Amino acid sequence: MRLFWELTKLSFQRQLTYRAALLAGLATNLFFGILRASVLVALYGTRTEVAGLSIRDAITYTALTQGIIAYLSIFGWYDLMNSIASGEVAADLLKPLSYFRFWLAQDLGRALVAFFLRGVTIMLLYRLIYDITLPHGIEQGLALTASLCLSWFVSFAWRFLVNLAAFWTPNAKGVGRFAFGIAWVLSGFFMPLRFFPAWFITLCNFTPFPSMVNTNIEIYLGLLTGAALWQALASQIFWAVGLTLLCQAILRSGVRHLVVQGG
Amino acid sequence: MKNFNQLNPVATMSRRYIQTLRFTLDIYRRLVAIQMRAQVQYRASFLLDVLSVAITMSMFFVSLALVFARFGNLAGWTLGQVAFLWAIVEVSFGLMDMIFSGFDPINFGRRIRQGTLDQLLLRPVNITIQVLGDDFVLRRLGRICEGFIIFALALKLAHIDWTLGKLLYLPCVVIGLVCFFGGLFIVGATITFWTVDSIEAINILTYGGSEMLSYPAHIYPDWLRRTFMYIVPALFLNYYPALYFLNKPDPFGLPTIMPFVAPLIGIGLLGAALIFWRFGLRHYQSTGT
Repeated sequence: MRLFWELTKLSFQRQLTYRAALLAGLATNLFFGILRASVLVALYGTRTEVAGLSIRDAITYTALTQGIIAYLSIFGWYDLMNSIASGEVAADLLKPLSYFRFWLAQDLGRALVAFFLRGVTIMLLYRLIYDITLPHGIEQGLALTASLCLSWFVSFAWRFLVNLAAFWTPNAKGVGRFAFGIAWVLSGFFMPLRFFPAWFITLCNFTPFPSMVNTNIEIYLGLLTGAALWQALASQIFWAVGLTLLCQAILRSGVRHLVVQGG
Repeated sequence: MKNFNQLNPVATMSRRYIQTLRFTLDIYRRLVAIQMRAQVQYRASFLLDVLSVAITMSMFFVSLALVFARFGNLAGWTLGQVAFLWAIVEVSFGLMDMIFSGFDPINFGRRIRQGTLDQLLLRPVNITIQVLGDDFVLRRLGRICEGFIIFALALKLAHIDWTLGKLLYLPCVVIGLVCFFGGLFIVGATITFWTVDSIEAINILTYGGSEMLSYPAHIYPDWLRRTFMYIVPALFLNYYPALYFLNKPDPFGLPTIMPFVAPLIGIGLLGAALIFWRFGLRHYQSTGT
């Protein structure tokens, strides 16, 4: 376990050194956030509430989704498949901790930096421009913390799973672009899931994607209470465990498949 | 008998110029042909790539369409009309990204860091053509296809009154956008001569700009709209032409000529970008790697 935290710390420190990239990322996230907020405001027109979301909630939604882009690597994560292409994977598999945990530790370090420096900062910057909703109450705060942690885990397991494609195909990037692209829509990142027709929401709920983005948003906006809240958290746990088991199974057969080229 | 043509310096120069131009274009054609052949080597993998890009990109529009059902319109624009804006941006940006990928600041920055630009500079061929020909990304056909699908949808939904003028002007709008975004890529690439790493500000203009142009301009806050009209004139490239195609009044009351300046702005920006690029090349110092 000490090794795990050491890796997390190293990854955390590595992320902290990219200061220019941090500022640039913030500027881009904020710019896109303003565009997305403008689209939602225009869609609302004179309406004050749509599908349970007030106009203020809708703007807050764009802040939240822009804020978690970096935290959950929503635009994709290809580090693992790159290490397979470069052959580094051979050394990584020899490390004295499981391959899954090896990457989990590093992603935790990356995610922590992204959460505080990108996520929280975006929310603060948004607060200067728009009147966004802030979470209130201990209960909601706890639920949100749990959901944010679980969503990171589910997102990591999904990204790990997608990256495992590189054990079989040299074109894993293409697989990744497709898999991450689908997640943008089905997770509720592109538009709030509540705006979609009922059949579409049902479809999404059969996938792990809402557990990555949508649950965070609905808890933040106070749309989930009581049984619905517990159900959403349970669903996140289900996908976290399920995807992890799937990752382990596929990793086992992938490792048997692996051929590292050259030396 | 003397051949006076040979003695005429102007004629000699222009002939030499035409020869060089022909040679350069031939090189470009060959470079692109090699790139294409290489990229379709693994045919199944290539087709899957194109198809998956087309599907994922289309999904964004499909989900907008699903959400649209709940709202009916976007600040007075129907889904078909938004599709028109969206389709033109997608086709143009896809084309631009296919042709100008060598100048994509991210790729170009890597070139500077790794010193591979120096290799190109040593060859006796026009450097701009080499950078263009070294990165012709056929995979972008996926995005272009997606654009065409959405365009078909726009035609079906928006009921555009086509005239000969509109038919002739449509390709000019696409050319304008391709030149405009291509010019931005070249500016971004040139800046990396000094910064080495690509600067994100240019991404706001290219990727942010294309996102912005996918929706009608009057939905944005005034300061943002004005910036993208008068400082970076992106909104004249797509929104104003769309007003003409869709027979919509101009909400900002600009002169009636404004829908027709798109190709001029696009080509003008590309020209200015190329001048900046020449200037940058003259000041280029290798990173030494």
